[in-house]
Amino acid sequence: MAVRTLAVRKRRVSSRKVVQSTFSYGILTLVTLLITVPIIWLLITSLKAQTEYNVWPIQFLPKVPQWQNYAEVFASRHHIFRYAGNSLFLAVTNTVLSIITSSLGGFAFSRFQDVPGRNRLFSVIIALLIIPTLVTVIPQFIVFSRLGITNTYWPWVLWGLGASAYYIFMFRQFFLAFPKELEDAAEVDGCNPFRIYWQIFLPNAKPVLATAFIQGFSGVWGDWFTPVIYLTSKNTTLAVKIATAYVTPQGNTIVTVTLAACVVYILPLIVMFFLGQQHILKGVVTSGLKG
Amino acid sequence: MSIAQQPMPRTGSRRRVMSRKARRTAWFYAFITPWLLGFVFLWIVPLTLGFLTSLTNYDGLNLPDLKFVGLNNYARAFTDEDALWSFGQTLKWTALNLPAWMVLSFILALILNQGVKGLGFFRTAYYLPSVVPTVALVWIWKIILDRNAGLLNAVISVFSPGTAIAWLTSYALQGLTVIAVWSGLGWGMVVFLAGLQGIPDELLEAARIDGASTLQIFRYVTIPLMTPVIFFVLVNGLIGSFQQFVVPQLLASIGGGAAAGFTQVPPRPVYLSMNHVNRQIFNFQRFGYGTAMLWLLFIVVAALTVVVFKTSRFWVYTEAKEK
Repeated sequence: MAVRTLAVRKRRVSSRKVVQSTFSYGILTLVTLLITVPIIWLLITSLKAQTEYNVWPIQFLPKVPQWQNYAEVFASRHHIFRYAGNSLFLAVTNTVLSIITSSLGGFAFSRFQDVPGRNRLFSVIIALLIIPTLVTVIPQFIVFSRLGITNTYWPWVLWGLGASAYYIFMFRQFFLAFPKELEDAAEVDGCNPFRIYWQIFLPNAKPVLATAFIQGFSGVWGDWFTPVIYLTSKNTTLAVKIATAYVTPQGNTIVTVTLAACVVYILPLIVMFFLGQQHILKGVVTSGLKG
Repeated sequence: MSIAQQPMPRTGSRRRVMSRKARRTAWFYAFITPWLLGFVFLWIVPLTLGFLTSLTNYDGLNLPDLKFVGLNNYARAFTDEDALWSFGQTLKWTALNLPAWMVLSFILALILNQGVKGLGFFRTAYYLPSVVPTVALVWIWKIILDRNAGLLNAVISVFSPGTAIAWLTSYALQGLTVIAVWSGLGWGMVVFLAGLQGIPDELLEAARIDGASTLQIFRYVTIPLMTPVIFFVLVNGLIGSFQQFVVPQLLASIGGGAAAGFTQVPPRPVYLSMNHVNRQIFNFQRFGYGTAMLWLLFIVVAALTVVVFKTSRFWVYTEAKEK
């Protein structure tokens, strides 16, 4: 008797579990669909002819996939390599500079806890993390335009050199976990702090370096607003080019080729994301939660 | 020299300690010099000048015509109908986006935390939209929500032929929310999931042994322990929502050829505060008025953040409080 009721209960519990997990997987699959359909639709539309895009009622699939849309993206009259090159240059320059200056700052704030003024400066860093950037963007623009360096790439260099509170915080969090003995041993051996930073801390900070690089690179690569206000159509970035769209020699927008360009534009970020996925997802969490 | 040192050897050692500290201080400041310079020249100086600008009629060009206008620019924001409208829409958009985004990411994190198979797959899939840059994001949604060529109306038309709902103009606020949730879901989910995984199993097990139901465990164990994470996401989302303007601007100007800058005005429902500010500055060169509105907006965001921080002690769980 007792054994039977136990078995019945067990079966009931497990059938409830089955319902529950079916429900869970149902929702997860539904959300996966909602997430992926827009991306698939982008891919499909990028393979349509422009006339197929404009037709009403809508034509769901292209009759013949227009692979030449992707060739057209790279056609020389659209200058995509120039725009992509500009994006690449700005993203790499800004990110690398910012990583160097910010990791120096993060090293200082994590390993020099006893220095006078350190605590007050660190609370400035924390405050900068919360202050919305909206207050600085336009005043900076006013200053830079009076200095006459709008329409150049100098602002990106200066932003990089000026470090970022966010990355300083990120590096500081990471460096805090390094054992004190490591530093002491190096100091006894006659290493100065810069060499400790350069030869011991930095080479061991690959996860943060990767996260910071991918985040910084994606930020500049994806930024549309800053190049729009600072640069002109001659020296602007890929983001702006794709927002203005590809046009025919007559000046009409070609949506489908622009969408193909969109795919090309997203691709490097997707590749980077997959390469650094582990670090990025962890970075999202540590930079926020362990404060 | 030797006389000074001999009687009290302790001074010598103290001096060496001092000099080590002085050396360390020098190194510390050397390390943070780039940031300090950046802080002064990229934050303090522009902010000061930005504030001074807000008290003038500066138009970006003519310094000789520069006039001090006191707080006129600030007063003007309260009588400018577009400014008031855009602020109202910003509040509506925040009220719509923030709960939708937070609740959905939280639910997803809860489901993923049940020990489902393929956690890695789902987490990656959900995070993917966060990788898509804004310009591409807007293109992706434009070809779905477009009135004529969009996928959504086409799908609805299968059931109810001839549907032509203007998702990007009449329903732009809802459209913007859908776009924002789609792109922000992954970030919210990853943060919430990390929070959930940080809840000790013993606590849940203890509650279960005490006979608590799943709902009770959720209400009295999970939610309280998650409040610090909810707080963090809330503050981030609040600040982010108030600064939104790129997506509405792009919804208006994307694909506009040479005019893809600020000449096009976002659809009325998503004409947000920052859109209004940018229009004043980059279209009309009203630098004084624009920066004045920036400061007003900053005060609002700062005040809201302070309110969240101040009330946090009533609802955010901290271990210290329990002890």
